[in-house]
Amino acid sequence: MSSRSLWRSLQTQTRRRLAVPETPYRCFSCTRQAQAQPPKPNADDERFTHFGFQNVPESQKESMVKTVFSSVASSYDVMNDMMSLGIHRLWKDHFVRTLNPGSALPSRDHDAAGRGWNILDIAGGTGDIAFRMLDHATNINHDTATRVTIADINPDMLAEGKKRSIQTPYYNTNRLDFMEGNAQSMPSIPSNSVDLYTVVFGIRNFTDKQAALNEAFRVLKPGGVFACMEFSKVDNALFNAVYKQWSFSAIPLIGQLVAGDRESYQYLVESIEQFPSQEEFRGMIQKAGFMIPGRGFENLTGGIAAIHKGIKPLN
Amino acid sequence: MTRPTSLLALTRRSLTPRSSPSPRILRTGTLLHQHQPQSQIHTTTAAITSKTTTKPRSTPQTPRSHARTYHSEHHPSQPHEYTNSQTTILSAALHHVPTHGFTRNALTLGARDAGFLDVSVQLLPRGEFDLILFWLASRRGLLRSKVESDGLLAGSGSVLSVDEKIQVLLMERLRLNVEVREQWQDALAVMSLGENIPMALSELHALADDIMNLAGDQSVDASWYSKRMAVAAVYAASDFVMTRDTSAGLRDTEEFVARRWADARALGDKLTGVRECLGFMGSTAVGLGRSWGLKI
Repeated sequence: MSSRSLWRSLQTQTRRRLAVPETPYRCFSCTRQAQAQPPKPNADDERFTHFGFQNVPESQKESMVKTVFSSVASSYDVMNDMMSLGIHRLWKDHFVRTLNPGSALPSRDHDAAGRGWNILDIAGGTGDIAFRMLDHATNINHDTATRVTIADINPDMLAEGKKRSIQTPYYNTNRLDFMEGNAQSMPSIPSNSVDLYTVVFGIRNFTDKQAALNEAFRVLKPGGVFACMEFSKVDNALFNAVYKQWSFSAIPLIGQLVAGDRESYQYLVESIEQFPSQEEFRGMIQKAGFMIPGRGFENLTGGIAAIHKGIKPLN
Repeated sequence: MTRPTSLLALTRRSLTPRSSPSPRILRTGTLLHQHQPQSQIHTTTAAITSKTTTKPRSTPQTPRSHARTYHSEHHPSQPHEYTNSQTTILSAALHHVPTHGFTRNALTLGARDAGFLDVSVQLLPRGEFDLILFWLASRRGLLRSKVESDGLLAGSGSVLSVDEKIQVLLMERLRLNVEVREQWQDALAVMSLGENIPMALSELHALADDIMNLAGDQSVDASWYSKRMAVAAVYAASDFVMTRDTSAGLRDTEEFVARRWADARALGDKLTGVRECLGFMGSTAVGLGRSWGLKI
């Protein structure tokens, strides 16, 4: 009996909005506060975009996403482990291993390449991917010239990453940089300057994904690689049903219990649902001008996540 | 001591064009340096079997209507097709195979030579296996062009039988691997990895099919399959032998191929004999039964 009622509560809680009185001293749900702001008077002529399952004006999405990630920054790792049962670490390791960052071969006299890679890690605030890439370059390819710039729109996530970087050998070296910026427009990064552009579990939060892809195309050197890992569409119907049940029932509940913030994680699963399918996103990468290697994407764990790649052509 | 340099010289010689006037598959690597249009490179390397593409060919040596085999003119394209950029990187990487083997290092150096970055090898999702497949496909195309354009089988005065042609072709294909002989066992190891077996086998079948077609085999019965399997088996076995062969001009391998092919023929003959024998015994039994008044 008790298991049945628990099951029912898991199912109904997805649709139920919790009526928690807003208290000034604790940010139980930062997202709701952001949403509670009255829309601007000239909202009717503004373009709307997705924020989870809701439509919000484009101008507001950025700040709303900011609020979400500010509230999850401190518990980011614990939550990722609990939501993905630890699998996100395997995905990230696989992602870095297939990219094989770092030049294993010494540069020859006439080579332009081979003097360390210039990597730009977008939305990589906590440094998950950046540290892995630097470790791989150093330990596997014995390349100590490869450097990573971590860019994130959110100063709280960057602060978390800076805190963690103290534990790494890259702290306070020129191999690691932090930069606050919007991926849709990064005027501080010159064109044709980046070897590898990565964005891991970030691009679905962007307001204008195509603009971000175009900007990636601009900053990459000819021959440079755009690599993106993002939640995607599960191809097996049965597995999809299980996965949907987990993401819409369990994840907001875990968020509520562990991080004390249900709405942020509700947004998380809704934004996953709204993200385009593998084929659509591949089309967007092609539209930005990239060449697609092979099929263009690699499904992980039955399509829960997918790795997309694009290569900027030589002129 | 002098092996690396001599191997390099060997490679350079065979990777650069001799003095044939029209561009051929052999030239893929060198075409790049001559700033030829990339589409041509693509055509000559990847579209080995499809004749519909614009292959730069002067007058065909035999009218197609006479040379028609059971190979369709619109033969389906290969399972692995490469874009221009991929072909550029792969052809440049082939130059580094004799020294670096079929490895990611060779790919990286190829990418650098072609003006790409180290990271650009991401264009080839299968990594070194792509390089191996490209090697196989381009050598297969080279074999075809040797027969169709350079008159490999027409050289000697006497007309060769299909069996002799098959052996000549097998040996010719094995000789194309000589320049990477030191690296070839590694390549075979990569091909035998579980995920790579299907594509490696399909490439082996394509080679056997090409050899049978070039040898002028016209069979339309079950031997279509058995002959191709025999060619594939002999080639795969001789490939191993070739990597260990130190004799001059691959004499040992040549003898091995001749023995294995004779074995295959003998086995085929035995099977035919057994089948015929069973057929006779069957018809005798039926005749005997009828003579006893059975209604069969």
